[in-house]
Amino acid sequence: MTATGAPARRPTARTRTALARTVVYALLAGYAVVSLFPFAWMVSGSLKTDRDMLDPGAFLPAHPTVHVLADTWRELDFFGYFLNSLKVTGLTVLGVLVVYSLASYAFGVLRFPGRTLLYRFFVALLFVPSVTMLLPVVLLESEYNLLGTHLGLVLPLVNGTAPLSILLLTTAFAGVPRELREAAMMDGAGEARVFWSVYLPAVRPALVTVAMLTAIPTWNEYLLSRVSLDRPGTFTLPIALQNLTNSGVPQYNVLMAGALIVVVPVIILFCCLQRYFVNGLVGAVKG
Amino acid sequence: MTTASPSTTGPAALAGPAAAGEATPTGRGGSAGRRRRVREAVTAYAFTAPAVLLFAAFGLYSLGYGLALSGATWNGFSPHWTWVGLDNYLDLLYRDPVYAPIVRSAAWHTLAVMIAVPLLVVAISFPLAVLLNSARRLRTLMRTVYFLPFVTSGIAVYLAWQYVLQPNGAVNALLRACGLGTLAQPQGFLGNPDTALPTVIVVMVWTAVPVGTLLYLTGLQSLDPCMLEAAALDGAGWWRTNRSVVWPLLRPITAATVLLNLREALQGFQTFLVMTGGEGAPGGHTDVLGLASYRLAFLEQLQPTLGLASALGWLLFAVAVLLALLNLRALRSTA
Repeated sequence: MTATGAPARRPTARTRTALARTVVYALLAGYAVVSLFPFAWMVSGSLKTDRDMLDPGAFLPAHPTVHVLADTWRELDFFGYFLNSLKVTGLTVLGVLVVYSLASYAFGVLRFPGRTLLYRFFVALLFVPSVTMLLPVVLLESEYNLLGTHLGLVLPLVNGTAPLSILLLTTAFAGVPRELREAAMMDGAGEARVFWSVYLPAVRPALVTVAMLTAIPTWNEYLLSRVSLDRPGTFTLPIALQNLTNSGVPQYNVLMAGALIVVVPVIILFCCLQRYFVNGLVGAVKG
Repeated sequence: MTTASPSTTGPAALAGPAAAGEATPTGRGGSAGRRRRVREAVTAYAFTAPAVLLFAAFGLYSLGYGLALSGATWNGFSPHWTWVGLDNYLDLLYRDPVYAPIVRSAAWHTLAVMIAVPLLVVAISFPLAVLLNSARRLRTLMRTVYFLPFVTSGIAVYLAWQYVLQPNGAVNALLRACGLGTLAQPQGFLGNPDTALPTVIVVMVWTAVPVGTLLYLTGLQSLDPCMLEAAALDGAGWWRTNRSVVWPLLRPITAATVLLNLREALQGFQTFLVMTGGEGAPGGHTDVLGLASYRLAFLEQLQPTLGLASALGWLLFAVAVLLALLNLRALRSTA
């Protein structure tokens, strides 16, 4: 505003604009530092030796080493936990895409008795606090021997995304021009064919958004995993990290190495698909 | 980030396609039209079946089970529940000498979080978005950097915060280096009963600012530039324009941001569980209602507290619904 509002009347106006711009960038950089602060220390901590850890207030490691990272990855079996996380996240995303693109197609395109009621039901689930659902889900799963398995994580996690996924995908499906469907039907395509060949390609950006909005929280999921996974062979990365804190005095260089292994994949994923993610969040709120 | 949308736009999003689609089948009529409608409905039920089944098992059944359990006493192992009616609720609210005070203190802490987090998030996100919007260069890079706390929110980042906040950690070292040694916390920011809760609140705000900033940023970019030019022509400066024109225009975004963070403050407890433990250390000074319910459900070993945990969960649910209704009314009255 300063730039447009003050056409160089006096020489001071220009310096004032320059000053304002400097202040703006300084403030932005300031918050960038705040934003990155714990990550920077995560990286520095993971490069420290046990002896360096005696002075955790020093940012630069006195004897930088990648041994802690390498040991965490190999000997502490973070590679295995990484694969478990990948499996749980992948299956959850797949489940969400299959189950809720089908349902949302029905909500957004087809007409049937009870549509509005059913839709409202799903969306109302948003108001249920996760802690209210956690205990009954765990009890239900232990009754059916699902507790502690990856499937036992995936199913409730898929269900947990129902409100948002249905909301986003229904809006996307409803926005596809109806003429496409009519034309395909005229050509003799069945409902499944119309769904698969016409509608799914048309809503691909929304599908990517939903996949992102599912993948990120699932990768970081902690509360349900913590109370359901009990065998180390099934641990996901957040639980493996939690497990490191349980062993007596926390060795922060090892913890930070583990933490780095948890956050790096999700940061990479975010950077690659940022556009979809940002648009999706905005779409979720604006509808 | 999701609560605001269904209450405000969900039904509208649904009403749109319905209205557009209704004309087609009625115009046709006859048995062919009816057969087509029946086939469409059958397809629709088949398409929604997986979602409904999942919802029935992990949504409805669980909720019903939890509601029933909230009227019973059970330790999770004994073969039978003992029915106690509303006793669990009354015990939590005022009657039990052990649990009622815990709930009361956790409720005060939750209230503090519910006031502080939304306020701080708005107070930081709005100016940040205005600044970000006026900076042409680096906007995308900054947005990525600002977004990391949200993308990574989870145990890894909370442990990193724990690491920098410990007694001889980075924050204390920085404060001492800047000559602000009096502000340093020798017991660590999470170890001092007076600073523990505010510290966790700061971390929660840090995690929530990205979404708030992004929402404000989109709001700013959708504003009509003519409006801002008109304000500038009327002689309004940068400060005046933002305060008297932009801020009022973005009120719906403020409402959404406040609601999202209210919901998170009411229900979320993961930050607390990781950073200060299941007991709300030190000495219960960071105990919140979600954490209390989680503890009663999962951390009490063989104590018969599962009914209490369920009851507390349902009390939280009731407050959440109340908040959502209030928000809906507030949005309607401003619309």
